[in-house]
Amino acid sequence: MAQLLLDNVSKTYRPRGKEPVQAVKRVSLDVKDGEIVALLGSSGCGKTSMLRMIAGFEDVTEGAIRIGGKEIHLLPPAQRDVAMAFEGYSLYPPLKVRENIGFALLRERGASADIEKRVKHIAELLEITDILDRYPTVISAGQQQRTSLARALIRRAPVSLLDEPMSQLEPQLRAILRARLKDYLIEHKMTTVFVTHDQTEAIALADRIAVMEKGELQQFGTPAEIKQSPSNLFVASFIGEPPMNIFDAAIAAEGNASAISGLGPNGQPAFRLKAPVEAANGKRVRLGIRPHLIEIGANGSADATGKVITNHWLGDQSHICFEIGGCSVVGVPDKPVEAQAGDALPVRFPLGAVHLFDAESGRALAHGLGQR
Amino acid sequence: MTSLELRNISKGFKSGKVLDDVSLSVKAGEIVVVFGPSGTGKTVLLRMIAGVHYPDTGSIAIDGEDVTDASPEARGVGMAFQNFALFPHFSTFENIASPLEARETPAGRLKEQVGAIARMLKIDHVLGHAPRELSNGQKQRTALARALVAQPKVLLLDDPLRNVDAKLRYEMRLELPRLLRTFNAAVIYVTQDYKEAMALGDYIAVLRNGRIEQWATPMSVYREPVSIDVARLFGDPTINLLSCKLTVNGTGSITLFDRRVPIAETYAHAAGRDLVAGLRPEHVVVSESEAPDAIPFDLDAVMPVNVRSVLYLRGAKGEELLATVGETEAAKFGRGQRKVWVRFAPSHLLLFDAASGQRIAPQVH
Repeated sequence: MAQLLLDNVSKTYRPRGKEPVQAVKRVSLDVKDGEIVALLGSSGCGKTSMLRMIAGFEDVTEGAIRIGGKEIHLLPPAQRDVAMAFEGYSLYPPLKVRENIGFALLRERGASADIEKRVKHIAELLEITDILDRYPTVISAGQQQRTSLARALIRRAPVSLLDEPMSQLEPQLRAILRARLKDYLIEHKMTTVFVTHDQTEAIALADRIAVMEKGELQQFGTPAEIKQSPSNLFVASFIGEPPMNIFDAAIAAEGNASAISGLGPNGQPAFRLKAPVEAANGKRVRLGIRPHLIEIGANGSADATGKVITNHWLGDQSHICFEIGGCSVVGVPDKPVEAQAGDALPVRFPLGAVHLFDAESGRALAHGLGQR
Repeated sequence: MTSLELRNISKGFKSGKVLDDVSLSVKAGEIVVVFGPSGTGKTVLLRMIAGVHYPDTGSIAIDGEDVTDASPEARGVGMAFQNFALFPHFSTFENIASPLEARETPAGRLKEQVGAIARMLKIDHVLGHAPRELSNGQKQRTALARALVAQPKVLLLDDPLRNVDAKLRYEMRLELPRLLRTFNAAVIYVTQDYKEAMALGDYIAVLRNGRIEQWATPMSVYREPVSIDVARLFGDPTINLLSCKLTVNGTGSITLFDRRVPIAETYAHAAGRDLVAGLRPEHVVVSESEAPDAIPFDLDAVMPVNVRSVLYLRGAKGEELLATVGETEAAKFGRGQRKVWVRFAPSHLLLFDAASGQRIAPQVH
């Protein structure tokens, strides 16, 4: 497998009679040999354009793409050493599922017994064994998608490109197929770039995630980095379910120390945390904290009292929504908390889990505040 | 007091039977979630309550009064759909007001009621807009306001959050219970999302192939599913299912991963049968170090998802097992590809009959 390098890549579409659209703006990415990278963003963010430029289905307007050190962005797709699974599946209609999957190996003149074995293995992995002798037109969209994925994976190409590989999957199969896919990619040390709009899928599968918005790379980091140190408000609120709690905030000096207050809807302070906040000097800020890091029912040193609005038990976790001074706050406790609507709960915001963002630019100012 | 009562409803179309002997009751102020995969008859059921379809057999009563043959407008039912179904040439105000117009509500009261519900749903600033000028979230709130404005005794919500984005869907999941309680209607809420079902439902009716397979609180549906099918519909990752056989030789036990697992006496009646043991991923305990009663597994992949991480485990014979652990705990396993040791409490196992798929209930003598 090989390293993939995107060097200041831009893409501008020039539709006839319309203003040019810059879909990708000077994006640089370094995908290591054997690494799994997700391109994550909502529709129109430029992620699919990037994937198609790597595959060779779109021209690169500016910049360069290298695979294993070799510049490839001017080569035709077939010479690029990439395998791609398409969101639209693009299976060969006259070929059976089995033949579709093995097609690229045939072209590479593999031994037929070996091809058969590999087709069987990848079909088991993706749960499509029972449709191997059917034709693409008579199988469901979800099965077509898995066939397209199998056709790309079986090649173990130097770089594999997967466009929304699991969007059509029934929920009961999602976790186990993600697990097998990740295991397969790691086992064969496959350099993989996949596109998704689903942050859960990106976090579950990727070693590193490139978060895109409006054609720009917002952040490129491991799932942990992106969760713990989001570069801006967009990334912070895009990643995580339930989403990060974000409040308007005000900073006030208190003698030698300082304090930060979360503000309610009318600008009145809802809760106050004593903390050094030099990073935010003189700026309008917003304060963020992830739901599962809020301590609920903490004894003693509570920062505020939350009035429970809803307490939803979801089997393996509970989501509690409570109100503090007009702010709606969501918490996910370690263990289920016995509380009903209307109950009062002591709540603590651990300083280490508090993020500060510049309210104007959205840029992150601090991840975790010092101890009081 | 029961507000909506369905008794033994069956309904068929040319293509076959869609609903088969469905009975359900909803009290005022209660939310019953009708949950099931697509094509199980959920929407047909709602339409029958609304009066768009009539049942072949069975009866429908609202507040004790039989409405099986009543016209839709005589039933006092409000309805909101997943595709919003707003009148495109009406403003938000006119859309919300339409059920009141149909009842010839005096103009003054109509304006007051529309204003009140619009404020409650935070769409009072877009009352003059046409549907095409609204965001999906605002359209959905308009559809809800229209369903609620006439204070219906029965409220039918057909997957109302399906077409709004994930963030808004989550916010509405938190906001809806409080909103609905203020109206004290009997609510039937249709969804395909199990988390939404568990969060919103006082009760969940699991509909499969036109029949109600289980009708219980979210907690009992999750902890005591009647069948493998129901167990698989609730929980992410899906419950682990392992084939086994119960042998009783003094004490009962099953063999999982080449280990004897003791099974309580209350299951003795299932001895000798082919069983499937269900084990929820959150009940699988994974540790880095060996322990006397722990079973060795290969940890092949680690998938962090939101507040928990999913571990992909393979046993000595390639058996697959999924476990979930907390975010901080997962950090110590890195990218996986290492040996780990697994334990689980036998009391967490759910036992199903392999042939019928039905759960085996413990028998107390």
